Amino acid sequence: MFAYQPALPIPNGKTCLWLFLSTEIMFFAGLIGTYIVLRFGAIAWPAPHDVHLSEPIGAFNTFVLICSSVTIVLALEAAKMSQTTKAKGFLLLTLLLGGVFLGVKAYEYQQKFSHGIYPTKPHGLVHDKADLYYVAAVRQRLNDLRTEFTQKNEPIRKPIDEISKMVDDAELAMRNEPASEQGRIKAMELAFAIYPPHDHNSVAHAAAAGAVPESAVMRLVAFQQNAPQDGESHDAGHAQGFNDRYPWLRLPIMIPGGPLWASTYFLLTGFHALHVLVGLIVFALMLFITLDRARANLVENIGLYWHFVDLVWIFLFPLLYLF
Amino acid sequence: MTQFSHPHDHDQQARHDSQEHIDHGGIGKYLIVFAALCVLTGASFFTYSSYWPFGKHVAWAFMVAVSCTKAMLVIMFFMHLLWEANWKWVLTIPATFMSIFLTLMLVPDIGWRQNNGFARYSYERLLYAPDPPAIEHAEAEAAEEEMSHDSPH
Repeated sequence: MFAYQPALPIPNGKTCLWLFLSTEIMFFAGLIGTYIVLRFGAIAWPAPHDVHLSEPIGAFNTFVLICSSVTIVLALEAAKMSQTTKAKGFLLLTLLLGGVFLGVKAYEYQQKFSHGIYPTKPHGLVHDKADLYYVAAVRQRLNDLRTEFTQKNEPIRKPIDEISKMVDDAELAMRNEPASEQGRIKAMELAFAIYPPHDHNSVAHAAAAGAVPESAVMRLVAFQQNAPQDGESHDAGHAQGFNDRYPWLRLPIMIPGGPLWASTYFLLTGFHALHVLVGLIVFALMLFITLDRARANLVENIGLYWHFVDLVWIFLFPLLYLF
Repeated sequence: MTQFSHPHDHDQQARHDSQEHIDHGGIGKYLIVFAALCVLTGASFFTYSSYWPFGKHVAWAFMVAVSCTKAMLVIMFFMHLLWEANWKWVLTIPATFMSIFLTLMLVPDIGWRQNNGFARYSYERLLYAPDPPAIEHAEAEAAEEEMSHDSPH
């Protein structure tokens, strides 16, 4: 005779959590798949240092999440044996490690924001290419700065005048000889003066993508190497642009592929960070519960969720930082 | 069949307990998995260092392999799927298939956007690309009413 099973041989809560996780697998697979399509279909993509990505920091965050995965699984083992204090200790440790992850993430976001790399328009300064629109945007910003700093002294006006001259030169060349390369080269030099490529190969990459005429590559490399050098930060030795030397300038910057990079980076890491945040909220709530054998299922369920969040980061770290 | 169609609560409880008993010996195992995950993270970070002897594409393949290994370790041991009953396939296989199909369905997008190889792009793609190589040049030529409409490449 045929007979029905009343349920899966696991608690209902665990069934629900696994169903939820299977939808999450598809959610992140969609996001990561889209990233891969956009990244490898893109005509230009910024080198990690051009967008202030630090691989060691990303690796550290990976390590932090792996540690937190271990602590939550140890919390489950302790809860199963009704070692409530130990379980709570490991839960607290997991909460702290998750907090460290979010703190590092916030620091990384701040690094990008401080250079004008935002996911959306109102604050973002990133342009894809040094074309007429870019030069016009620089001029607009210079005009805004002039009205802002009318009362100020000479040293502040000096960089503004210097950049203004380059803007004039570029616009003149573009207008007078539209068929010539000179306008584009001048606009490129303007972009490099404001925000030089931090990765030494970027000029060559830009040339390979057709952004710079071949004849101008040597001139641009020399231009980049003659710019003042920066000695202290982690990408030490890169050329310092106007935006580095005068942070208040906040002029539009040119990073080929930068806007698309920013959209995908902030979307992927943002959704992942939201998942981390949700996990931390649940951990914080569970601190008020006695984690004995009767609550082991609860610990197991949140543990499964937390391992999944770790799993997503395992794929995001190489994709975003090392590819 | 009867023992499956009429499971005794007592039996299930006993089975549950024995399964937990198996899991109890696992703390050492978790630490070994933890060490393996750390080593693997170091391995993919190694591709970033200047000591990496192979090219970029080998590094990509290597990192994908390392990531999949790490993911399997987490799924098998931390999420206990190694010890779960057959219900695990009901949830994981459809989700995996749908993820793979979803990504595969995005692939034609690359095919349609690119002409051939990785370097040449279709006209539609070039219009919205960050650095259209020679379109401005071509337009300037058209403006000068040059009859020979050479390809920019």
